[in-house]
Amino acid sequence: MALDWSVVWQHRDVLAAATATTFLLTIATMAIAVPCGILVAALRLYAAAPVRAAATAYVELFRNLPLILVVYWAFYVVPILTGFGLPPLATGLAALALNVTAYNAETFRAGINSIRRGQSEAAMALGMSRVQALRRVVLPQALRRILPVVASTWVSLFKDTSLVSVIAVSELAYASMQIRAQTYRVLEMLTAMAVIYWLLGYPQAKLVDWIQRRYAVTE
Amino acid sequence: MDFDFSVITGHWHFLGSGVLVTLALAGLSGITSLAAGFIAALARLYGPRWLRPVIVLYIDSMRAVPVLVVLVWTFFALPIVAGVTLPPFWAALLGLTVHLAAYAAEIVRAGIESVRPGQTRAALALGMSRVQVVRRIVLPQAVVRMLPAFGSLLSVTIKDTAIASVIAVPELMRQSETVAGQSFQPIEVYTFAMLVYFLLLFPVTRGVDLVYRRVAHLGRS
Repeated sequence: MALDWSVVWQHRDVLAAATATTFLLTIATMAIAVPCGILVAALRLYAAAPVRAAATAYVELFRNLPLILVVYWAFYVVPILTGFGLPPLATGLAALALNVTAYNAETFRAGINSIRRGQSEAAMALGMSRVQALRRVVLPQALRRILPVVASTWVSLFKDTSLVSVIAVSELAYASMQIRAQTYRVLEMLTAMAVIYWLLGYPQAKLVDWIQRRYAVTE
Repeated sequence: MDFDFSVITGHWHFLGSGVLVTLALAGLSGITSLAAGFIAALARLYGPRWLRPVIVLYIDSMRAVPVLVVLVWTFFALPIVAGVTLPPFWAALLGLTVHLAAYAAEIVRAGIESVRPGQTRAALALGMSRVQVVRRIVLPQAVVRMLPAFGSLLSVTIKDTAIASVIAVPELMRQSETVAGQSFQPIEVYTFAMLVYFLLLFPVTRGVDLVYRRVAHLGRS
């Protein structure tokens, strides 16, 4: 077995660009999924009954579907339903955002519920509106409590971006497998892919552990 | 737009076999990763000192690497290293086990650590051996407390089997891709697959909650 690791270095530009795409996908998805998650959580908690039911159905549906299926579904079905095609990157981003928004919504709902009712009642008794009470009293405390959960969702998301490789988004997994197919350097490229993910993911996982210790809820 | 769901009824045998493979893969990797997770956690907590950093490194590495990468590596690269080619199903079982066992180990560890150390000390003071303490005092309470987390791990396992489609395991996701490609009716096929996955996963999450509510009192101390 003759191994030729130089293939990894030769394709460093492609791999660097692909790594950047992986991070871009992670950041963009979170940037969409945090505000949308708060919105969906608020709808589930405070909206009129039919809206609340719709928000619940959305959350339960996407939490109970494999992400890879959502990615395929978005790729094949959305262009047919809407009549216009999106580039793979945007499709992948949409699928990831739909998935992570559902998880975030559940996180935010749990966080908001963990703040005792008496606090928002007291805020409203002081003359605040419901929105003010939520924004000034409940959310600041809730956000601190859910930070560890959002952090671990972030790491999951970072790893899950690899799944959009199935619709040819040239992030790290797709790019590595393309180079593998072109050069037939299977072991080298797949190991390089695993090592790059490890190098990037390991510090993030450790950071999450630290955040969980730092922001642990103690009552 | 017309939908023609006859594509589902026309391929029900093919898609049904995919559902069975999904269930078999999820069930088997659920059992193997649970067993491996228990061993890893017990070894980490009670094993020799040199073993601990090795297990911690393994667990943290699996938390850092996507399951897709583990599966693809097991299927394509492992044969080059080990000289044995595993059929897709067994490669998927191995890859999923290696990945999910790390998560199972963390759940087991958290469950065991949630039992107050005073109980262990009291049992040791009463003359129990270390093994007896773990088996009779710690685990009976810890296992009940682990249940909800194992429930979500089981649902993660079922979802992760869909990723095995990438290495051509003929489970539901893969079979759906094939039917969608042949029939040019992706909407019907993928929507059907969504429905099936939802019907598989929703009862799992809900069922575990129900079971836990009935046995939660056994874990209190």
